[in-house]
Amino acid sequence: MSQLSRRDFLKVAGAAFVSVLSPRSLSSFRLDAGRKPNIIIILWDAFSARHLSLFGYPRLTTPNVDAFAERSTVFHAHYSGSNYTTCGTASMLTGMLPWKHGAINYDGLVRSEFVRSNPYTLLGPEYHRFAFSQNPWPDRLMGQYYGDVDRFLPPSAYSLLGDDGARILENDRAIASVALDSFLFSTQGGNAPIGSPVLGYLNKSRVLNFTDRQKSDSYSKGVPQVMNMNYLFPFRNEMVYGGVYSEISRLESEAPPYFAYFHLYSPHYPYRPRNDFRRLFRDDYRPIVKPSHPLSAGLHEDFILTQRTLYDRQIAQIDAEFGRLIASLDETGVLENSYLIFTSDHGEMFERGFVGHGFQFMYEPVLQIPLMIHAPGQAQRNDIHTPTSNIDLLPTLLSIAGREIPPDVDGRILPGFGGAVDEDRPIISMVATENSAFGPMKKAVISMRKRAYKLIAYPGYDGMDQAFELYDLENDPEELENLAAGDGKRLAQMKDELFGYLDAANRPFAGK
Amino acid sequence: MKLLNRIVERFPDRQSIRNVFAVIVTLVYSWTLFTSFYKLPSWMFYLNSKEIASVYAYFFVFDFLDSVLLLAVVLLLEMTLFLFVGKKDEFQARSMMVVLVLLGFSMARLALFQDYEDIGTFLSSELPWVGLTALIGIPLALVVPGIRWLGGALEGFADRAVILMFIYIPLSFISFVVVLFRNLN
Repeated sequence: MSQLSRRDFLKVAGAAFVSVLSPRSLSSFRLDAGRKPNIIIILWDAFSARHLSLFGYPRLTTPNVDAFAERSTVFHAHYSGSNYTTCGTASMLTGMLPWKHGAINYDGLVRSEFVRSNPYTLLGPEYHRFAFSQNPWPDRLMGQYYGDVDRFLPPSAYSLLGDDGARILENDRAIASVALDSFLFSTQGGNAPIGSPVLGYLNKSRVLNFTDRQKSDSYSKGVPQVMNMNYLFPFRNEMVYGGVYSEISRLESEAPPYFAYFHLYSPHYPYRPRNDFRRLFRDDYRPIVKPSHPLSAGLHEDFILTQRTLYDRQIAQIDAEFGRLIASLDETGVLENSYLIFTSDHGEMFERGFVGHGFQFMYEPVLQIPLMIHAPGQAQRNDIHTPTSNIDLLPTLLSIAGREIPPDVDGRILPGFGGAVDEDRPIISMVATENSAFGPMKKAVISMRKRAYKLIAYPGYDGMDQAFELYDLENDPEELENLAAGDGKRLAQMKDELFGYLDAANRPFAGK
Repeated sequence: MKLLNRIVERFPDRQSIRNVFAVIVTLVYSWTLFTSFYKLPSWMFYLNSKEIASVYAYFFVFDFLDSVLLLAVVLLLEMTLFLFVGKKDEFQARSMMVVLVLLGFSMARLALFQDYEDIGTFLSSELPWVGLTALIGIPLALVVPGIRWLGGALEGFADRAVILMFIYIPLSFISFVVVLFRNLN
């Protein structure tokens, strides 16, 4: 009988350990040997993990997502790099923190030196790469590497208005979108009228009149619309999810292996659920009333609750669409050879006198987002409780596809997919819309979660510079008790650490 | 045949069309530039100077289209609504009045209704606004050419606008090349 040498033992043990950590170790991984898996990302814009019934939300908002979770890896403490679309999505797509990728302004772009850090370029032509974002801001981000996307649908695809004809400018998608979508034909609010007084006016009138005519027996309050201040596309989620399914079917038959990213607008504001969902949640649920934030509009609690309920109804509707989509994908066997990733770009907040996302609020409902990853053929649920960030998604995708992870990437491979659990890792999120992308970060709201504690800092904000917030999320998940005054030692430690990272991030801009 | 003869007879001369076009170009391009200054500070946060110049290239191309479209509307009105009223040599003053009223209508509404919350008001007020614009615009277009000092002032404005047109239009052609180049690459 042969004896195992110490070296052989270590080799076998090492291989076994790697196989335990790797995605292929998932008991139900059924992908054919040698074939690259398809990767599908379905992102719901502005979906807070705090509204998932799976995570204990008192309303049954997401029965279908919950069912999907039963055969996925579920991340219980997953955070966005920011609290609004551009910055959160850029963090996910680049695998970098906002102070590095630079897409920190509302409709900003990734710094040119980091544009190549994205799944499309890094997965390479081995994958057929598909992109669709209903929200024009991520569309603009992906427009920065248009040449690496094999099929790129415009935001207006699957809308009730149909294709807007912007395809003729798709080779210059990012800049054309700034000029046309955010200025000449629409605005993003902020006291800036539309720049084109003839075609711009006619377009605005056409879109609004068309949208108004969409009020029907099934949508008595009107259909959802992209974007709320931009007067862009009215749509119906039934159509959008039908489009997603037909696109996946097309990719499945024509171009495997493929990478497909669907950035879907609902449940983003304006919340306009279909009538059959408007009757849901007429209940006694009253969330904890939290003190108004000094920078919030101080909205009335009744209004906040009404908006929350509308949001929950919108979620319930898209959960039903999601359920139908998953059933179709099951039926056609797509999930047998594909990773299906379900996530969001940022959350939504209904508390502290504020409704929505963005601005200076970095509380859990707006930062904590869902992440569920279904591996090919996976049948068992796997729960990951350690805090993770959406900057981890890119390295995880690259690892799944067997591609190299560039050294610039800040994210790590997710636990459960080959990555190690690191409880001491700080999870950083920030919003810095009033800061230049070309200079050091001087004005921002930054949050850092480390283990159970979370620090929120407001560097550069008049009167808020020294207003730190420190929460113990394990014992106070609603962030009600600010420990900054009472736990000076922990505050000092976390401040030193956070500002150390900020100084390091600002170093390349020294002298600017 | 009689109608065709009338159209040929009343069709404005090239210089008058050029002057009206100059006024349109001046107003349309200036509006775009003016409104762009609201956005420029935020663009400077994340676009470099080359990208900002490219954004302006798109503006100038679309402003040219806006201007041509509006000129077509003005000529159409002249050949229909105003075909049997007024005189041919009053075209310039009349059309400039039409341009001022139409652009004033559009710009005022764009400036007044910017927010999502305004959508209902925007839609419900559209017909009254259009009606009011026609009610004010048509009589003004008929009366103004007869008021000598006002007609003269408008023509003076047109003469000066021609200078701006000779700046804006070449800029549009350069912009067209820039846009074409960016989209061919």
